[in-house]
Amino acid sequence: MNYPVWYVPGVGGGVLIAVIAITHVFISHFAVGGGLYLVIAERKGVREQSRDILDFTKAHAKFFLLMTTVAGGVTGVAIWFIISLVHPAATSILIHLFVFGWATEWVLFLVEIVAISIYFYTFDRMDPRTHQAIGWIYFAAAWLSLFVINGIIDFMLTPGAWLSDGSFWSGFFNPTFWPSLLFRTAVACMFSGVYAFLTTAFLKNGSARRSMTRFSGKWVLWSYLAAIPCGLWYFSTVPPQVRALIEGASPTIQRALQAGFWSLVMLAVLALILTILKPSFHSRPLAVFIFGTAFVFMGAFEWSREAARRPYVINELMYSNSIMKADLARLRQDGFLATARWSAMKELHEESLLEGGRELFVHQCYPCHTINGANNDIVPRTADISYPAMLGYLKTIHEKRYFMPPFAGSDAEARALAAFIVKGLHGKQIAEGATAGSKGRELFEANCSACHGEELVGSRTAGWDRARIRNALDRLSALNPAMPDYRGSAAEKDLLADYLVSLNAPGVPPAAPGHDRGEDLFEQHCAMCHTLRGGKNPLLPKLAGWDERRIRQVLDRLEQLKGGVMPPMTAPPADKDALAKFLALAEKGGAR
Amino acid sequence: MNPMVPTADAIPVSWGYFQALLMITFPIHLLFMNAMLGTTAVSLYACIKGGKTHTRLARDLAKILPFTVAFTINFGVAPLLFLQVIFGHLFYTSSVLMALYWLSVPFILIVAYYAIYIYDFRFESLGRKGAVFLLLALAVFMTIPFIFTNNMTLMLEPRQWTAYFGNRGGAVLNGYKVVVWSRYLHFITGGLAVGGLFVALLGKIKGKRDPQLGELAVRIGMNMFTSLTVLQITIGFWFLTSMPPAVKLPFLGERAESTALLIAGLLIALLALGTGFGRKVLPSVALVVPLVIMMIFIRDEVRALYLKPFFAPDMLDVVPQYSPFLLFAATLMAGIATIGWMLRKTSKLYR
Repeated sequence: MNYPVWYVPGVGGGVLIAVIAITHVFISHFAVGGGLYLVIAERKGVREQSRDILDFTKAHAKFFLLMTTVAGGVTGVAIWFIISLVHPAATSILIHLFVFGWATEWVLFLVEIVAISIYFYTFDRMDPRTHQAIGWIYFAAAWLSLFVINGIIDFMLTPGAWLSDGSFWSGFFNPTFWPSLLFRTAVACMFSGVYAFLTTAFLKNGSARRSMTRFSGKWVLWSYLAAIPCGLWYFSTVPPQVRALIEGASPTIQRALQAGFWSLVMLAVLALILTILKPSFHSRPLAVFIFGTAFVFMGAFEWSREAARRPYVINELMYSNSIMKADLARLRQDGFLATARWSAMKELHEESLLEGGRELFVHQCYPCHTINGANNDIVPRTADISYPAMLGYLKTIHEKRYFMPPFAGSDAEARALAAFIVKGLHGKQIAEGATAGSKGRELFEANCSACHGEELVGSRTAGWDRARIRNALDRLSALNPAMPDYRGSAAEKDLLADYLVSLNAPGVPPAAPGHDRGEDLFEQHCAMCHTLRGGKNPLLPKLAGWDERRIRQVLDRLEQLKGGVMPPMTAPPADKDALAKFLALAEKGGAR
Repeated sequence: MNPMVPTADAIPVSWGYFQALLMITFPIHLLFMNAMLGTTAVSLYACIKGGKTHTRLARDLAKILPFTVAFTINFGVAPLLFLQVIFGHLFYTSSVLMALYWLSVPFILIVAYYAIYIYDFRFESLGRKGAVFLLLALAVFMTIPFIFTNNMTLMLEPRQWTAYFGNRGGAVLNGYKVVVWSRYLHFITGGLAVGGLFVALLGKIKGKRDPQLGELAVRIGMNMFTSLTVLQITIGFWFLTSMPPAVKLPFLGERAESTALLIAGLLIALLALGTGFGRKVLPSVALVVPLVIMMIFIRDEVRALYLKPFFAPDMLDVVPQYSPFLLFAATLMAGIATIGWMLRKTSKLYR
């Protein structure tokens, strides 16, 4: 909210960061492990007095130089560019807090460039001892680069004691620093073998090719084995919320982990074949394929790590949409638009609800959601949600789905955002639902608020379903002799009942009159993730053959379902009954 | 104060440290960048021209090119970092406004960098066709400063930022303004001039072993240096007049320090022009290095004058943490010592 938002709704900033960062990280890990590989391979060549091995090492050094200094170095700069465009506020924090960490990394980068250039251009010209020393200097500088960057990246996931003491060192040596460093070191050595497979595939001399393929395979396999305990240690040190996301609460992480798992399996099998069973099986297409599996693994790891940080960009400090956690209460009180520097609209009016909603979308949702884009498209995800349901969802979004940042704005702004999504994106009418909410509120204010605040009514009717509230409105004096009966029409009582339901359970917004209650409940509780039929995650096929009783039982223990992905349903038993009835009917073909 | 100017984050040591580091690292970047520009341009010319000596010159320059690119990038990182520490809140904003162009920088740079390597590693087999790769690289090396000039000027003028509300897709450019073009052309002609001098210096060194090649490099390099310096001074006056009054008037007598800086810079430039016309390479180099530093001070003064109404670095909050600075200082010293050792070992091979 401090900075403008680079708004490209069909693409999204997140996907740009992912593409650039994964490419860079895939090369930069090679730039670390590959440095060690080069000196060890050279030493092997010198010890065995093998011209073939030395020629291979020199050729590999050329490939290494071209890959790491050009694509690796410049994509590193590109990450810096893209994060400052997509997350300027978070980038600013990282730059200001860790400026001397970055500056230290710059010195190491300089040493790396000088060392690798000398290493390559003096190959066979410098005495082997000094030449290898230059190689070791390169590796030391590259590993120390990893050391520095690792501290800053992990800070974003686990800021640890920095949150309370603000110390550079607390942020740097944060809870995941050491396991992550070891894990990444192992991955770097693994990638050195993977990249070397590319060079060995081009060797013409058959015996040298087999020998260096086997040599490279050992790098992959030993590092692979080392990476497993390091990875488990790393996983054990992340906060419980992050672990829950990785273990199943985030669908996007599940997909990434599956891809990562199978690519690792393939990588292991192929490395075993090339190392132990049949090095001669090696070929250029196979080398490229192995390269691809390693890339997918790296992508899956980085994607999961980034996604598991949600709803934060810097854990417990700043949400993914650049809103500071500490500002949340103030923004809810004072409103977002009035205080956001780069909002085109400062005041929200009824006639400009959609424009205001769009503005809120740009600042609060677009950081993760595209509109009709490939990544995390908001359109299909909200296609089945009605206006009242969306409004209710927005108010409890973080509680319902931890990885979504809470909505940071006033009640009127929540209405504007819901209106933008429901009407602006889907062209659906909001008048009916909006009337139910706002008219009901008007009635409440006109008839009830003189004696009761919203909070009081909400707490007094906690656990009541709509039918009970509606009945009560017909005989208020029976509840309390001091309370006069309400003399409104039946339609007005309906509207008021809808409004009161939304007060006693904030996650349950008022239903639009004339709707099936079960259908409304489906929209409120399920439609964020499920459609009935079709789409990405249809619900009815999962319920094939289930009767109403079974569905009703499951609604009490959704969180225990396979994968532990679903949140528990917090609703009165009567609502669950209505939802179960609706789903059972729908399953038999009785609903849309 | 303009309400669109974001709040700046606190800094860990006094702003003077960052200003000093910026002013030390930026001239090194500029000198490498100028060398890269000049080497690319002269190698391109020599490659197209053909003939024995010209081709030898093109070949020798091709070998140097990748290093100039590598060090230009590396020494670009440090000042860009320190700039972001002091002016980040302005810089990130202008970057977002022109995000499409800004993000293109690393990508076109990768293309140019590989083009340079292809030109170098395949020089013989490519022959004159190599010029295509070099032309591509030169086009990129001329484009990137234009994008930078846009960003560095856009960050100084929050009044221009309202363009964002008509264009949120990151396609706002400052390029329609005369001052952007005059500034860009002033810097790029200066850069090519100094680059020419760098080629002349190489010619001077190479001339000891290959007089013909050395003579050619000095001739081309010094011609480039003198003619482009004359052009650069002319454009410099245009640049000065195209700036807003609040920025240019201090240089025209209103503020003694600013005026003195400009006069000193101009005097050194005229002296360097004198040595340039006399084909005196080393005295020209001895003048150009302080000239580049002087130009950076003038540039910094221009920035301060632009920002004066709403920002100065001493407005930044300091939340002191000096120990990380010591880590950096220690690494820098160790890094310089290590690089020194490596270069000493390497130079023995070429004696």
